[in-house]
Amino acid sequence: MRTLIDTVSAVETPEGISLGLRAAGCMPRALAWLIDFAIRLGILIAIASVLGVLGAAGQGIYLIVLFVIFWFYPVLFEVLNNGRTPGKAALRLRVVRANGTPIGWLSSFQRNLLRTVDMLPFFYGFGLIACLIDKNSRRIGDWIADTLVVYVDAAQPPRLIAATVNVALPVALSVEEQTALLSFAERAPSLTPERQMEIAEQLASLTGAHGLESVRRVLGMAGTVLGRSSLADQATRQIRQ
Amino acid sequence: MKQAAFEQQYQNSWQHFSEWLAQRSSPKRAAMANDLPGGLADQHFPAAYRKICQQLAIAKRRGYSPALVAKLQEFADHGHAVLYRAPKVRLNKLLNFFAVEFPQLVRAQWRFMALSGALFFVPLIAMVVLLQYRPELAFSLFDGQQLAEFEAMYNPAKQGVRLARDDQTDVMMFGHYIFNNVSIGFRTFASGLLAGIGAIFVLLSNGFIIGGVAGHLTAIGYGGPFWQFVAGHSAPELLGIVISGGAGLQLGWALVAPGRYSRQRALVEAAQVGVKLVAGVFAMLVFAAFVEAFWSSIAAVPAVVKYVVGAGIWAFFGVYFWRGGRAVVASSLVAKHAR
Repeated sequence: MRTLIDTVSAVETPEGISLGLRAAGCMPRALAWLIDFAIRLGILIAIASVLGVLGAAGQGIYLIVLFVIFWFYPVLFEVLNNGRTPGKAALRLRVVRANGTPIGWLSSFQRNLLRTVDMLPFFYGFGLIACLIDKNSRRIGDWIADTLVVYVDAAQPPRLIAATVNVALPVALSVEEQTALLSFAERAPSLTPERQMEIAEQLASLTGAHGLESVRRVLGMAGTVLGRSSLADQATRQIRQ
Repeated sequence: MKQAAFEQQYQNSWQHFSEWLAQRSSPKRAAMANDLPGGLADQHFPAAYRKICQQLAIAKRRGYSPALVAKLQEFADHGHAVLYRAPKVRLNKLLNFFAVEFPQLVRAQWRFMALSGALFFVPLIAMVVLLQYRPELAFSLFDGQQLAEFEAMYNPAKQGVRLARDDQTDVMMFGHYIFNNVSIGFRTFASGLLAGIGAIFVLLSNGFIIGGVAGHLTAIGYGGPFWQFVAGHSAPELLGIVISGGAGLQLGWALVAPGRYSRQRALVEAAQVGVKLVAGVFAMLVFAAFVEAFWSSIAAVPAVVKYVVGAGIWAFFGVYFWRGGRAVVASSLVAKHAR
């Protein structure tokens, strides 16, 4: 297949298939960080108001909470919540290792420790530069922990091909051409009839028809490629029974 | 085989597979749930996953419809994430880390540890000794107000129930030590990435400052409360910073001289060693904070006991890093990085 210019990097698994990882750029990552920052701030303010009652001891506990939230908030979420802090989840992002496997305690701790360097010289300056240079928009902590922030694909609704009256293929079609027919049949329900006709009429030499009839024939051919028994066959079977 | 027949043939197994994934994706429920009745048993999941992968490859090769390929790809992605999930942290693995792996790693990196120790302890000891002969040098390290604060903290005439601070602030100081000291430990390591410069800076400056405070207080005769106070927690705290610095230096060295690896690979490998060292340092510094908050400050404990306990803790860490994990064969990570 042709490779397109895209942010997808294909990672081959031991099972011989490839996973398409779509790296997330600086902007969504910065937004996710901002959301997390707001959440962290909110937690700290809430806790401070409760612990304020306890005086000096409360201040000590507050400092411990501050320590945990500062260093371990991202680690805990990334490991226990499939690589997603609340901010990342909101932007449909996820941290994975470069080989596509889920992130573990050590690699998450590693990438978050090195935020110290990414934050230099001020406000994630080095992180931003690294992110802009890198093909996969990784910051320095990601380079060194060998991790990657990727988009989580939304689950696609099942697309069904409507039953048709099958039409025999007039000529032998290559695999790619057959896939194109199937693809059209799957997308057809989401297209307007005009657009369907416009596309189907491109195949006039194959269908020998125009207008709605050409759509019907292309869908019929897709049915043949799919190998499902034709509507006509189903009807005759029902009559016989 | 036509697509419709293919789908027909595997419909059931896909159904079972997706039900199993839905049930097992969340680690919390996985621990409690039994096998689904009539569904896919846990032990058969890897085989089922490999079959899905094979069917995905076939579907792509035969040019089945994009929706079917996408569906199988989703199964495969999801299955991959579950199969290669990071293992849980087990208690015996954790114990093994502190009993065996951590001291082994420290010894394996002894060159960087020695360098880090020198960068820290040489200025520290030099300052303590120097200030006994040239006490006025303290004013070139600290300004007058800072010195006054140190003197107020450790003034032998003003020590109450707690050494070096007010009464009833143990928990507060524990929180303060955790936040402050452990964060310094973490930053020392991470800043080592800048070709070691960050770690060198932290080690040198802390060496000078700590040595300066100790030397100044000793020189003006306030040494008693000071040394009693630091005796207990000095070993884990100072050694923790040194190990953290050593971990940072080896990370920086991977950037400077990656050897036979590519630079990125060298950094990844060095960071894997470094992060384990930092995990050990984390435990040491939490222990140090605990001692500092709840033991070091008790004024009622006689000085002798403070010094004996302090020496005991130093001896413990000495033996720990010298002998710890010697009887056990080095793990592959340690062996690989022993230089």
